[in-house]
Amino acid sequence: MSPTRFASEHKWIYWGAIVILVGLAITGVIRYAYVTTNAKTQSKANQLQQELVKAGYPSPDTDTVERLLGTDGGQVCEEPGNALKTALWKIQQSNGAAGPGQRPVISDTRAVEAERIVLQVYCPDELDDFDEALDDLKTDDTVRR
Amino acid sequence: MSSLDTPAEVPRPRAAATPAPTTLTWVTLALMTTASVASLRAAPTMAVYGLACVFLYLVPAVVFLLPTALVSAELASGWNGGVYRWVSEGLSKPLGFLAVWCQFAMTIFYYPSLLGFVASTIAYIIDPALASNGPYTAIVIVVLYWTGVWISSRGTKALAGLASWGLIIGTLIPGTLLVVLGMVFLGQGNPSAAPMDASHLLPQWTGLASLVLIVNNFLSYSGMEMNAVHVSSLKDPAKEYPKSMFLAMGLVLLIFILPALAISWVVPADQLSLTAGVMQAFDAFFSYFGIGWLTPIAAVALISASLGGMLTWLAGPSKGLLEISRQEGYLPPFLQKLNRYGIQQNILVTQGVVTTVIALGYALIPNVSSAYWIFSVITTQVYLIVYLLMFAAAIRLRKTQPDHPRGYRAPALGVLCVVGLLASLAALCIGFVPSSQFGSGSVWAYVAIVGGGLLILGFVIPWAFLHFRKPSWRTAAAVPSEGEQA
Repeated sequence: MSPTRFASEHKWIYWGAIVILVGLAITGVIRYAYVTTNAKTQSKANQLQQELVKAGYPSPDTDTVERLLGTDGGQVCEEPGNALKTALWKIQQSNGAAGPGQRPVISDTRAVEAERIVLQVYCPDELDDFDEALDDLKTDDTVRR
Repeated sequence: MSSLDTPAEVPRPRAAATPAPTTLTWVTLALMTTASVASLRAAPTMAVYGLACVFLYLVPAVVFLLPTALVSAELASGWNGGVYRWVSEGLSKPLGFLAVWCQFAMTIFYYPSLLGFVASTIAYIIDPALASNGPYTAIVIVVLYWTGVWISSRGTKALAGLASWGLIIGTLIPGTLLVVLGMVFLGQGNPSAAPMDASHLLPQWTGLASLVLIVNNFLSYSGMEMNAVHVSSLKDPAKEYPKSMFLAMGLVLLIFILPALAISWVVPADQLSLTAGVMQAFDAFFSYFGIGWLTPIAAVALISASLGGMLTWLAGPSKGLLEISRQEGYLPPFLQKLNRYGIQQNILVTQGVVTTVIALGYALIPNVSSAYWIFSVITTQVYLIVYLLMFAAAIRLRKTQPDHPRGYRAPALGVLCVVGLLASLAALCIGFVPSSQFGSGSVWAYVAIVGGGLLILGFVIPWAFLHFRKPSWRTAAAVPSEGEQA
């Protein structure tokens, strides 16, 4: 990408893009929510661990669970039944494409169920909306464990 | 069918100042191709499959990526113009139009879902609550889309740079970081979270669901041929395009496989499922190393990669559509007008109006959003028509024009084309198998929706253009488009 007349003509487009992306990155780092671990996050993580093990899942690392889900489930519990969030979720239950070849597949049963257990523990009030939005999802055991 | 016989009474598109000839290096074209196809967005999804993700990417690479890349390398090294030209030369001009129409039309539904993902990733950075806000999502989609149209309308060079840098900043650097951290994790003596033994090399076999997963993954590589439309911007297309394609092929494979593996080493599959989101998966990965603050930076990287990829899709198929339409009069003169940079501005703007309406529906009407996934099934079905036509055209061109100069001749082209055709047909058939999202609805209803969409978008609309075209719509050679300057 050597400098050309076109490149110099469009220099300010490049600079505009750089400024916006750097601005977003700085905002993101400042706003990044470090979840402070405490007795309550630990208790929730232990509860999730028990529920997952009861449902036949391997025991998750509670430190990671604490960091990711805190006391309120973080973003997992943020309006999980919302139309746009479920739309994106459904689009992402797809093959390995990252371009226009992205296409839905038959999702793994346990992957979907795991999220449900998180909601059960961290935000049971949201469970009905989640179930309603993803009601009737057809799944199968597609991941070798 | 032949082209129109009546000499065209050439309507004059807006007389443009002669645009400067655009040249791209073969490395830039390789980066553009890679940006069109690959990004880290799919890595968390595929990391769930652990070691089997290698199989899930390599098998499609053999039966779909390799045929697509090698066949398009041969075709582009012999004929300028991309898929429309190959199919026009090999089969017929109307089929050439059909091929480029299908490549173009399917992107209209792709942009809202891609930009919906970008909007939710921006929301992750600035305020996660925005992710469920319809007006916010609509504004972000519309603003980013039209900015993309504006940049694309300023010439291939402008978008080539942005797309290439989008790939470098948004995929190659963070992808390398993921792989290095994954290796550090293993190097510290930690056991891989996903079993890496021979028994986990193949994905779980559960019959139809596994077949759907494997065959649908063929489409991971769709788009490899799309940037061939810019081949005339290379200094020596016959030699440089194949090189560009081989580099892109290698990069795409590395980008898809290695970061997904690295995530699966560090974050257990069931833990990835707990967090239900691309950014949350990256958060889990980086948090393990105590550098969770890199997650928003990874989010910015994903945004730049997604937008870079979008730019290549905006510029590619619309250029092919313009070129065949100017030669054969398949689109009304209004859509053939060029701006002062020699770019098909009116096609881009018309596409933009349609995309905006669809995007507003996606963002603001819950029933449309929740059913939007079905469009990705229909559009990928439509895209497969392009591949069927491309492989058929390549076989015929070897027979009908064996001595046409080609800078590169694919080895065993016949076998490659047959394998590519069979893979495309398999993907087309498997597209009629209902996915998870359809739930327990009737299989026949699903087949009717997908088949109906395929029929309307892939056949009825292009047939209408062909049927209603007028001799006077042919404007070729009236104004040279970008890249065609001698």
